[in-house]
Amino acid sequence: MKYRSRNVEAADASGNGPLGKSAPEFPVKLGSRGFTRPLSVLVAALREIFDESAYARFLNRRQVASSRQAYAAFCRESEEGTARRPRCC
Amino acid sequence: MPKAFRIAIWLGVAVLGALALGTVALHRGEQINAMWLVVAAVCTYSLGYRFYSKFIATKVLMLDAQRATPAERLEDGRDFVPTHKWVVFGHHFAAIAGPGPLVGPVLAAQFGYLPGTLWILTGAVFGGCVQDFVILLFSVRRDGKSLTEMAREEVGRLGGLVAYVAVISIIVILLGVCALVVVNALKASPWGTFTIAMTIPIALLMGVYLRRLRPGKVLETSTLGFVLVMLAIWGGQWASQTPAVARWFTLGAPALAILIIVYGFAASALPVWLLLAPRDYLSTFVKLGTIALLALGIVALRPTLHMPPLTRFIDGSGPVFAGNVFPFAFITIACGAISGFHSLISSGTTPKLIRRETEARMVGYGAMMAESLVAIMAMIAACVLQPGIYFAINSPAGIVGQAPEAAATAISAWGFPITAAEMHALAQSVGEQTLYNRTGGAPAFAVGMAHIFSHSLGGQALMAIWYHFAIMFEALFILTVLDAGTRVGRFMVQDALGHVWKPLGRTSWYPSILATSALIVGAWGYFLWQGVKDPLGGINSLWPLFGIANQLLATVALCVATTIIVKMGKARYAAVTLLPLIWLVAVTFTASWHKIFDPNPRIGFLSHAGQLASVPGSNIRLIFNDRLDAVVTGTLIVMVGLILIESLVEWARVLSGRKQARVRESPFVTSRFATEEQG
Repeated sequence: MKYRSRNVEAADASGNGPLGKSAPEFPVKLGSRGFTRPLSVLVAALREIFDESAYARFLNRRQVASSRQAYAAFCRESEEGTARRPRCC
Repeated sequence: MPKAFRIAIWLGVAVLGALALGTVALHRGEQINAMWLVVAAVCTYSLGYRFYSKFIATKVLMLDAQRATPAERLEDGRDFVPTHKWVVFGHHFAAIAGPGPLVGPVLAAQFGYLPGTLWILTGAVFGGCVQDFVILLFSVRRDGKSLTEMAREEVGRLGGLVAYVAVISIIVILLGVCALVVVNALKASPWGTFTIAMTIPIALLMGVYLRRLRPGKVLETSTLGFVLVMLAIWGGQWASQTPAVARWFTLGAPALAILIIVYGFAASALPVWLLLAPRDYLSTFVKLGTIALLALGIVALRPTLHMPPLTRFIDGSGPVFAGNVFPFAFITIACGAISGFHSLISSGTTPKLIRRETEARMVGYGAMMAESLVAIMAMIAACVLQPGIYFAINSPAGIVGQAPEAAATAISAWGFPITAAEMHALAQSVGEQTLYNRTGGAPAFAVGMAHIFSHSLGGQALMAIWYHFAIMFEALFILTVLDAGTRVGRFMVQDALGHVWKPLGRTSWYPSILATSALIVGAWGYFLWQGVKDPLGGINSLWPLFGIANQLLATVALCVATTIIVKMGKARYAAVTLLPLIWLVAVTFTASWHKIFDPNPRIGFLSHAGQLASVPGSNIRLIFNDRLDAVVTGTLIVMVGLILIESLVEWARVLSGRKQARVRESPFVTSRFATEEQG
C-alpha cells in the first residue's frame, strides 16, 4: 500500500482545495507513480530547493489562497528559520 | 536480474575503474584526457556506494525501514515534512555545495592533478560520504538534533563546548577567506565589479516581483533574475570599455574589502530581506545551473590536462601556498573529500525531511559523492590550463614580482614556460587588464571554465563573457555564503550571550543585533583585512587555516559518530568512522604543527613573525597577525585534543563495562511508510 500524505489527501478532498487554481502543487503529491519520471523528480526537487513547496504547505496549513499578504506572512514565518540555516563552504 | 549478470556488471565497473585510476596515476611524460578522471571518479563512487555504503547501512547502522523518522512522527508541514528521497537529495546537495569544492582543488592543483584527485576520491568514499551519512542518520534517530547537541549528549559537556567553538571558528575563518577570494577576483576588474554591483538592483527587482506581482513564484522569479544577470554581464563589457564608467568600478583590494565588510554588517543587522532572499535564490539557481553546464561542457569537450600529474612543488616550495604535499594537500581540499561543515547540514534541515531511515544512505552518502564529483570538475578546470598560465594567475606578487616580464621569467624558470605577451593576450581575451597575481583560486577556475565553455559553446569570441560569467557565479555564490554565515554566527553568539544576560539573547532586540553583528563581522573582517594586506596574497596563510578549522570540525563529527557506534554495541565496526578520524587527526595536527612551528617562514607563522621582527622597520601589524594566526591554530588544536581525550575516555568506560552504554535515541515507533515499496 502506498502512503499518501495528509496534505495531499486534504488537497485532493477539496479538488483544488481552498487554495484556488493559482496555488502551487505539493511536492509530495508526486510521491506516487509520477516520481518514476525524472522530469517530475527534477521539478519537485527544484520546488523544494526554491521554497515553492514550503509555500504550498504554508497555504495548505493556513487554509488560505496565494496572495501578496499570504506570501508576506510566509516570508515572515520562514525568516528566522532561513536565517539560522548555514550555507556550506 | 540474474545474480551472475549483476556480478559481471560490477566486475566490469571495477576493471574500468582500475584501468582509469591506473591511467591517471601511472601516466608520466605525456598528457592525458580529462575523461580518465571522470571515469575513475564515477567507477569509484559507484563501487563505494554499492558496496561500502551498503555495508555501513546494513552491518553498522542497521537502517530500519520499520522505524518512523522525525519527519513522519513530528510532521507539522513546516519544519518536519516527509519528502521524497530524490527531492531531499537535491535539497541536501544544494545546501552542501559551496565554493569550497571549486576553490580547494584549484589551489591544490599546484602539486599536479594526481595528489588532489586521489585524495578527493578516497577521502570522499571512506571519509566525507561516511561522515555525512552517519551524522545524518544519527540526527534522524534523535529528532533532527544538531551536531552540537549530539556532542553534548553523547560525548559530554566538553564535547558540546568544543563543537560550539569549532563551529564559530570555522564560520569566522571561512567568511574571512571567502571574502578574500571575492576581493582577489574583483580587484582592478571593472567588468566583474559592475556585474556584481548590478546584482543588487536585480535582486531588489526580483524581491518586488516576488512579493507584489507573482507571490511565491520563486523559480519563475529566479529565471527572470538570471536573464537580467546575463544582461548585466553583457553590460559589464560596455562598462569596462567606457572610461567614465570604468573609473567608478575599478577598485583596489582595500576598497573592495571595506565594501564587503559594510555589506556583511548591513546584511546581518538591517532588515534587508527584500535584497537577501531573492539574491539567495538567484545564487542557488546560478550555482546549480553552472555545475550542470560545467559537467556537460567537460563531457562535450573532453579536454586534455596540461598540468603534469606531479609538479616539483610537492616538496613544499609551491608559490600558491607553501607546504609539503602531506599534509597540506589534504587540508587544502576539504569540501570535495571530507568537510566538517557538512555535518552541520546533515544535522540541520535534512534530517527533518527524510521519509524513511533507509533513504539516509542515498541522501547522506550519495549527495556527498555528487559534491565530490564537482571537486573533480574543478580540478579538471584548473588542469586544462597551461601550467605557466595557472602559476602566473595564482602566484602572489611577493613570490614572482609585480612586473609581467619578471613574473613570466620566474615561472618559466620553474619549468612552466610562459611569456608576458601570452599572459597579456589571455587577459585581453577575457576582458581584464591583467591576470597576474590573482590569487584565491577563483580567477584560475574562471579561466579554466571559460576555456571549456568557449571551446564547446560559442567559440573564442565568447571567452570574455564566459570568464565573467564564472567570476559572477563565484562572487555571487560567496557573497550569499557571507551574508548567511554572518547571520548564523550572529544567532549563535546571541544564543550563547543569552545565558549571560537574557536581553542579549533576544534576536529582536536591536542593541544586541548591532553588537553581535559587529562582533562577527569584526572577526571575519579582521581576517579579510589581514589577507588583503599580506604581501604573500593572504591565501597562503588563510586557506590552510580554514582547511585546518574545517577538518577539525570533521574530527569533532567523527568523534561523536564513533562514540555513538561504540555505545550501540557495534565497536567491532567502529573502524568505519575511526579510520577517517585517525587520518584527519594525523593530517590536521601535522598541518597545525607546521603552520605554527615550521622554521620555513613561508610555512610557519612564528618563524615568519620572527623573520619580520628581525628586520628593522617591519610592519608591527604583520607580526601581530602571524602571532594571532598561530594562537588561533593552537587554540583549535587544543580544543579538539580535549574532545578526543573525552571521547577516548568515554569509549574506554563503555568498552570496559564501567559505564552502561546508553544512546539517546528517540523511542521506536513503527513507520506507516514501512510497507511502501522502494521507489
